[in-house]
This record gives sequence, structure tokens and C-alpha cells, in this order.
Amino acid sequence: MWVYEKRLQYPVKITKTCPKTAQLIISQYGGPDGELSASMRYLSQRYTMPVRQVGGLLTDIGTEELAHMEIICAMVYQLTKNLSAEQAKEAGFDAYYIDHTAGIWPQAASAMPFTAKEFQSKGDAITDLTEDLAAEQKARTVYDNLLRMITDPEIRDPLKFLRAREIVHFQRFGEALEKTKEKLDQRNLYYFNPEFDKGMMKRV
Amino acid sequence: MSQEHLACASVPIQHWSGTYDPKKAFYTGTIFPDLDKPFFASEKAEETGNPSLKTASPDRRESFMQQIQEISFFADDLRLFLDTHPECHEALQALKRVLKQRKSLLINYAEEYYPLTVDCMAAIFEDKPDSDCYCWQEGPLPWEGACV
Repeated sequence: MWVYEKRLQYPVKITKTCPKTAQLIISQYGGPDGELSASMRYLSQRYTMPVRQVGGLLTDIGTEELAHMEIICAMVYQLTKNLSAEQAKEAGFDAYYIDHTAGIWPQAASAMPFTAKEFQSKGDAITDLTEDLAAEQKARTVYDNLLRMITDPEIRDPLKFLRAREIVHFQRFGEALEKTKEKLDQRNLYYFNPEFDKGMMKRV
Repeated sequence: MSQEHLACASVPIQHWSGTYDPKKAFYTGTIFPDLDKPFFASEKAEETGNPSLKTASPDRRESFMQQIQEISFFADDLRLFLDTHPECHEALQALKRVLKQRKSLLINYAEEYYPLTVDCMAAIFEDKPDSDCYCWQEGPLPWEGACV
């Protein structure tokens, strides 16, 4: 169950139309390392996690990623809401305009549509948590790249917030991995699959 | 703490060492000074000119909303910390404090402006049982840029 709270986690107040920037930022909505992908990854993996606390953490981070998706969508929306067809053409936003007008649709900066192929739910806690660590790093790199390209403080401010969250999430997934390891065979962490062979986990 | 293992990723466990105040935490993106690791291009590439965000908004409703966002974010980050440190007494005490603050801010905001959650709507109806207002649709939509 989810409950909507009628506010953004971090404010977005962009006063200039800039379809070029919208086209870059939209990657964090529907791109390979975007917030939608992040949310679906964690919310899919949580069901079979053998350590309860880790299932809880994945729920909380997966939920926060939904709020981040909303921040990114608000940015794309505000950057394109007063768009003219001429502006779209000049900024190279014309292909998007043809398919979606100024509607918000999950795609990468490269125009590749959102796809579940970008993330995994592998049914093995070590594998999934290692993927989650990598996912946070990939998203951070995208925010680094955006911050290098974009100079407007109105746009940079929420991007900096979102980048900082990736670092915190990485730390938490690292701690979740440590907690999972504690319950495995200490001589061989790979002796069994902690999700599939749950009966072999240590009851710590 | 768990021993070191070859052939597996490992991340050191964070220890509690205090937090930023809610405003500083909000604009940093974390409540923890230990996890505050900005990118150099975040510092250098910025155009001059201050986004109105960091200065207190002249609009009363907006500055009220800003307070809700700061306190709520503090609670968000604390919760993630507690998810992996459920035994941390300091973090739990801090969570109790901010959740209490958040609850009263949300109710005051609902009474003065509009409800942000269904539970806030319930608080309004308890207060005014004869109200004819379906207040859920009041207020700006969050993505309209009026949500500071």
C-alpha cells in the first residue's frame, strides 16, 4: 500500500523553458540508470530477501526513488511547459515533440524507451545487493555528468540533492550486504543461495 | 562486526556521529556530515545568481511548506539509517523528536491551507464535522513549481 503526500520531497521551481536541458534530464526518469528503474529494481527484489531488515530497507529506498522520479518529472515538465514548436525544433527536441508533444514519457536522453531490461531481480541476495551498489554509482555518475553540463542554479539545485541521495543509498545497501553476510557460512559465502536455500541461513 | 571476506564486496558500517540541522541537511541532501561528499563541478560550474530556494520565501504558505519539507526529509534520512542500525539509541531519540514535529506541522498546515495526506483530511473533518468542503483538491499541484 502506498499513501500519496501532496508535495515534492525537494522543491522544483524552474522559471525558464529549455527543451534541450529537459532532453538530458529525462534520462533520470526513463533511462538505464534512472529513478524509475531504481524504484522498480528495489521494489521487485524485496519480496524474497532472506533478511527482514533488508526487505524493509529496499521498501523504503524503493519508495524514496518514486519521490525522486516525481522530482525529475516535475523538472522535465517545468522545462517544457511553455514550449513552442519552433523552440522544440531549434533545441533538437522535435523528435520527442512529434511522439509526445509536451507530455511526460519515460525515455533515456538517447530516446531509448524505459525498459525492465535495465535492471535485475536475480533471486540471490548477494547478487541483488551488489547490483544495487552498482546502480547507485551509475546514477551518481549520471548526476555528475548533468552537473558538468548544466549551469543554471535553478536546475542544478535539485540535481545536487538527488546526487547526494545516491551516496547515502550506496552506504545503506553496503550495510545491508554486511548484515546478509553475517548470516552466511563464514568460510564460504557462496556455499548456498541465501534466498533459495533459506533454511541454511544462520538464525542470528 | 563481520570479518573480511575475499571475493565479496564490503562497505564499512557507518557510526553515529551527529547530524546537520534540518535546514542544512535538506540543502545538502543528507543529514550526515560523514556522507556529505559533493562533486567538484557542483561547486565550480554554477552561474552566479541565487536560486530563491535557499533564502526564506516571503510567502507565508511557502515558508511553512519549506519547514515541512525539511523536517520530513530529516525523518526520511533517519529512517534509512535506522533500517540498518535499529539499535542506535541516539537515532531513535532523534526520530521520535522529528516525527512529533512533523505530525503537528502537517496538521497545522492542513488547518491553515489544505491537507497533504488523507490523514490530514481526517484531522480537518474531526475539527469541523459539518464541513462541506472536499478539501483534497485544494492547493497547487506539487509539480507546478509552487510547492516550495
